[in-house]
Amino acid sequence: MSETPIIAARGVTRRFGGLLALDSVDLDIPRGIVQAIIGPNGSGKTTLLNALSGASHADAGSIRIDGSEVFGLRPHRIARLGLARTFQTIRIFTDLSVLENVKVAAACNSPVSLFNIVMSNSKQRRTEAEIEHLAHNALETVGLAGRAGDRAAQLPYAQQRLLEIARALASKPGVLLLDEPAAGMNMTESMTLLETIAKLKASGITVLLVEHNVRLVMGISDRVAVLDFGKKIAEGAPAEVQRNPLVIEAYLGRRHRHA
Amino acid sequence: MNKRLPLALVAVAVLAIPLATHDGYIIQLLNIAILNAIVVLGLNFVTGWTGQINFGQAAFYGLGAYTTAIATKAGLPWITTPLLSVMVVTAASLVLGLPTLRLRTYYLAMTTIGFGEIVRLIIVHWEPVTGGTSGLRAIPGISVFGLSPQGQIQHYYLLAAVLALAVIVALRIRHSSLGRAMIATRNSEIAAEQSGVDTTRTKLLAFMIGAIYAGLAGCLYASSIRFISPDSFSGTQAVLLMTMLIVGGMGSIAGCVIGAVALTILPEALRFLGQWYLVLYGLGVIAVIVLAPGGLASITSVVPWRRATAP
Repeated sequence: MSETPIIAARGVTRRFGGLLALDSVDLDIPRGIVQAIIGPNGSGKTTLLNALSGASHADAGSIRIDGSEVFGLRPHRIARLGLARTFQTIRIFTDLSVLENVKVAAACNSPVSLFNIVMSNSKQRRTEAEIEHLAHNALETVGLAGRAGDRAAQLPYAQQRLLEIARALASKPGVLLLDEPAAGMNMTESMTLLETIAKLKASGITVLLVEHNVRLVMGISDRVAVLDFGKKIAEGAPAEVQRNPLVIEAYLGRRHRHA
Repeated sequence: MNKRLPLALVAVAVLAIPLATHDGYIIQLLNIAILNAIVVLGLNFVTGWTGQINFGQAAFYGLGAYTTAIATKAGLPWITTPLLSVMVVTAASLVLGLPTLRLRTYYLAMTTIGFGEIVRLIIVHWEPVTGGTSGLRAIPGISVFGLSPQGQIQHYYLLAAVLALAVIVALRIRHSSLGRAMIATRNSEIAAEQSGVDTTRTKLLAFMIGAIYAGLAGCLYASSIRFISPDSFSGTQAVLLMTMLIVGGMGSIAGCVIGAVALTILPEALRFLGQWYLVLYGLGVIAVIVLAPGGLASITSVVPWRRATAP
């Protein structure tokens, strides 16, 4: 295992008008772990994810993925450097089949040649076969291989979430960002999700998990970072973080009072 | 093969039509329908699949037609004109697409409306070259190394073969990473980007391929109909092409052909209705949009909209 963290973010700052959504956040994620980011609603979790993935750029800071600076790069460049993600609100490609959804990402690092496509030559067929193979493997991992031929829009909600994970996996990412993957799932579905995350970790993928549901993340995460009002207020092993008075004040405390 | 049967039936019908009728007027109408189908297939890349609204397709059609007419009338051999037309429309699509396709939403729609108007004004006012509003007549016909199709029926078979080729290329693109990237871009631009799709490049390619389809159709239009005028490539034509796409079935290859053929022939077939035709036409379009939002193709579904696995 290499020494450089897979994600090294320094001073990531994002402003929306007068609101400081991210206030100079530093984040180092070592390879191969499951890192969680928790925090109350509006604390900047998704904003941080968007900044890391390039979906919505930070105003200042430095973000290194696997050693290369990605600050200001367009999302597809960051994706090709090995960062994949899912979305809090599902964004599957509804007009494509389940398999085709995954193939979009599986083609991530295969160059597109209009000439080869039009000629449908052996090079093109080989590329397609590779993409198909990658896509099938990703569907197997999340247990959706049986629905490969269905139209993606026909999948039930929880399976659409799994499809997003399969799509993210197909690009062979070094790090996978999951934005509230358990949102809207029932207990059984959440358990399957946790098993899938454990499987991903075992296969060497670093997982960055953004969750609102603290109980869900505590069991599966190796490290937890806590955001509040755009600032990182704590970081460490789940047990440590749970004992941190700042965290209890900002997040757990509030939840307990409501619960 | 069950899937092949409808295709075979269509092929037989296409080949048999000239045997059933020798009416030159009907064949000519079918030739224009075929050319329109190629243009609408082109529009489908950028609008049907990539989700970018393009009102410049008629202008690209016209650019191809005028390039060909002017070149052949100046004495250039016909064989150079497809290439010339492709070069002109590719250059135009890059000039339009590069600055606007980085932006989201309706910028392309606005730009292409302006582009269509500019092309029309140039055609109308550059009279010594374009013939102005009266157009260009007696355009030299298709001739490939001394071989030239004679009469409308031979042109019909030639154009039908080109349409078949255009359909095959569209199918190949649909079942490649480029086609999937186009549809992904329409469904969710951000999810496509985060899956490694360069959406700007995808939109630009779709726009360019669409322009090339229109440019080549324009080239064939000029040299098979032999007469062109600005009316055939106006803003009204651009809207008609968009209507063909919507009525036929956005995103469906079969739908493009069905929509183009239906809306080219229908106005002529219903000519006896006089001005009531427009009322019927409007009601018909509304009926399709309300009752079959997927277009005519979603009813007939001649060609399946997808295959789960590549052949």
